[in-house]
Amino acid sequence: MKMEEMPLSSPDNTKLEALMHDIYSELVEDACLGLCFEVHRAVKQGYFFLGEPDQESMKEFEIVDQPGVDIFGQVFNQWKNKECECPNCNRLIAASRFAPHLEKCLGMGRNSSRIASRRLARNNMSKSESDQEDNDDLNDNDWSYGAEKKAKKRRSDKNQNSPRRSKSLKPKNGEIGSSINSESHKYNHNTGISYESLGPEEVRSLLTMRCGVISEHTKKMCTRSQRCPQHTDEQRRAVRVFLLGPSAPALHSAELESHSFDIPDGQMSRLQWVESPNVSPSDSASSKASTNHPDSRRPKKKKTLSLNSGGGSGGLTEGSGSSAQSSLSLSSRKKKPKLSAAFISSIYDDLN
Amino acid sequence: MFPRFTFNITHITGALTPWCRFTVFAVFFPSDLNTMNKEARLKATINQKLTETGERERLKELLRAKLTECGWKDQMKAQCKEVIKEKGLEHVTVEDLVVEITPKGRALVPDSVKKELLQRIRAFLTQHAS
Repeated sequence: MKMEEMPLSSPDNTKLEALMHDIYSELVEDACLGLCFEVHRAVKQGYFFLGEPDQESMKEFEIVDQPGVDIFGQVFNQWKNKECECPNCNRLIAASRFAPHLEKCLGMGRNSSRIASRRLARNNMSKSESDQEDNDDLNDNDWSYGAEKKAKKRRSDKNQNSPRRSKSLKPKNGEIGSSINSESHKYNHNTGISYESLGPEEVRSLLTMRCGVISEHTKKMCTRSQRCPQHTDEQRRAVRVFLLGPSAPALHSAELESHSFDIPDGQMSRLQWVESPNVSPSDSASSKASTNHPDSRRPKKKKTLSLNSGGGSGGLTEGSGSSAQSSLSLSSRKKKPKLSAAFISSIYDDLN
Repeated sequence: MFPRFTFNITHITGALTPWCRFTVFAVFFPSDLNTMNKEARLKATINQKLTETGERERLKELLRAKLTECGWKDQMKAQCKEVIKEKGLEHVTVEDLVVEITPKGRALVPDSVKKELLQRIRAFLTQHAS
């Protein structure tokens, strides 16, 4: 091995090199001895050969290659059909349903506390209201103000606030959430709310957030979102006009038209509706046929356009001028309401 | 091995481990220095300096790390296993291992490791040699 030449005189150089090698040998010998001591201790203590796999465990942990079994030799869904005994209620529950059952059984977890508080509220309310009603009325679902329902109805209540419920309810927090909750608190957790028992402010707030269409059968307002597929925008508009008066605020759903149309149409509506404020808004779409304005039988959502369709009876040029523009903009809408213009005209027939 | 001298050792510095029977690090009295020649004196000084500055320890650690890294240690362990199997697990002694392992160990050190270590020693020497 060739070493680098040092800038020293050669006798010193050789001496230094010799010294170097000596030091190096010392260090290497030191390392060897260290190793020997380490090994010897490991042998005497018995852990020298521990790192190597022994035959016994090799056989035990060999890879299994049989069908129906994984590489460890375990069967796949061995516990699928097993039943476990709940330590709380001592019932036999299926394994896959065990965790949710335990959550409810022990009273821990989000859902169980929610259900419990709701049950409490229902019990309190039914206790306070059972004095008000006669026994006959309990059987009459239409007129009850939210007392205990039959088991069928109760089932729909059960999952009212569970995470599985439709997501449309969730983002609506704040005022509406609290108001809805307070209303539901008063009137039981039905799918509808009785409008007669709400104050004007509550009605207003409810209608700005919810569908609100009053069902023919139960006389309750729909609490689904403003885009609920069961009711059309026309029904919603009619309900608002019915409940809030002729100067009802415009629907917020699908508001693409400019607001400039709202003001003159609002005034128009007041003129037209002043004669009969008691129009029943709960008539179904197919109830009455009318031959007014067949060309205006296009999908119409805004109350502005619906009022303009009755422009024949109202006869305002202002409205008809805006109707052309609004009908053009609305014809490109994607959603098709179930009501035809026949229903709209039917309302005006009542006026005339 | 450097030539043996008899001198009075009153203080012994440095780590005195069982296997250091070949070298003794000592503080020398002035009266002893006259009996040594320049070479020995130089060696003694260098060794002393190595220990004092902590360079010896550093070099030791460096060597150990390098030997483990390059697989020398595992090789030597395999050699040890051979010796153990030969002598029997219960009766193997330190001496058995030392006698077998040390010459092999010295030979099996890779060249790169040797070179690096020699370089470092040389650097130290040029720095501290008078």
